Amino acid sequence: MNSANPIPVIPKGRPISWEDWLKGRRARRETGNRVAPEIIRRSSSSSDKRLRKLFNGERGLPFKKTEEL
Amino acid sequence: MMPAHIQRALADITAETDPTLKHLKLASLVSAVFRERGVELVVVGGSAIEFYTEGAYVSGDLDLCLVSPPRLDIRTRQELMGLVGAKGGPRNWQVAGLFVDVLGEVETLARTPFDELQAPYGPVRLVSPEDLLVERVLISVYPQPHEPAELCARKLIAVALAGQVEMDWPEARRLAGRPEYRILPVLVKLVGEVAHELGKPNPCDS
Repeated sequence: MNSANPIPVIPKGRPISWEDWLKGRRARRETGNRVAPEIIRRSSSSSDKRLRKLFNGERGLPFKKTEEL
Repeated sequence: MMPAHIQRALADITAETDPTLKHLKLASLVSAVFRERGVELVVVGGSAIEFYTEGAYVSGDLDLCLVSPPRLDIRTRQELMGLVGAKGGPRNWQVAGLFVDVLGEVETLARTPFDELQAPYGPVRLVSPEDLLVERVLISVYPQPHEPAELCARKLIAVALAGQVEMDWPEARRLAGRPEYRILPVLVKLVGEVAHELGKPNPCDS
């Protein structure tokens, strides 16, 4: 992290701390939302049967809203 | 890891309702348990995309591959997954409200190292963003156009262009041009589109 970019980068060649990774979540989501829909989970896959059974008809848990990240 | 620590971790993961955190914590726990037996794992696929992009892509599956050793016998897999209370097997288990797949040896052609995240129960290795990007770009067009893969690639490109994930663009170009992928023109076009949308220069322009 540097002073010009307060959002921690996921770096190459060294680990990112848990705190820094958490700190960057919202910014990463917002950046992605500029170039693709907010939720891009596939509507089906080869794992559908087991997923829908485990998640009450859905394919996974509901996502956190961007503002909650 | 002591059994009591594992139980506490499992209780935390089971109670976690944020799908991304749930995946990451479970990857951390499973990686730690395997690491204690000398087995290194790496997160691949949709979970890796999620950890890099926060892209709201992940479903209920966590995909892990073997780094070393490249193969693991079925008995050892069952024993190690048993330590985290897993049900099922021998390649797919149900643990703490998710499905975990331990696939074979990781397929990587990148010269860049795996990224690493210091998660609550131990480090999690992520397949490199260059491998992930080029793989998604390939899937987005072959064997036929596949929009979810393109959307994943777009989000990964975007966070890299925004400086939120360090991407080695020359390495991504090199990978895309390799005979195993042969997807360089598609990569350059897609990166160019996303760069244009974000008002950034295209790092793949030669």
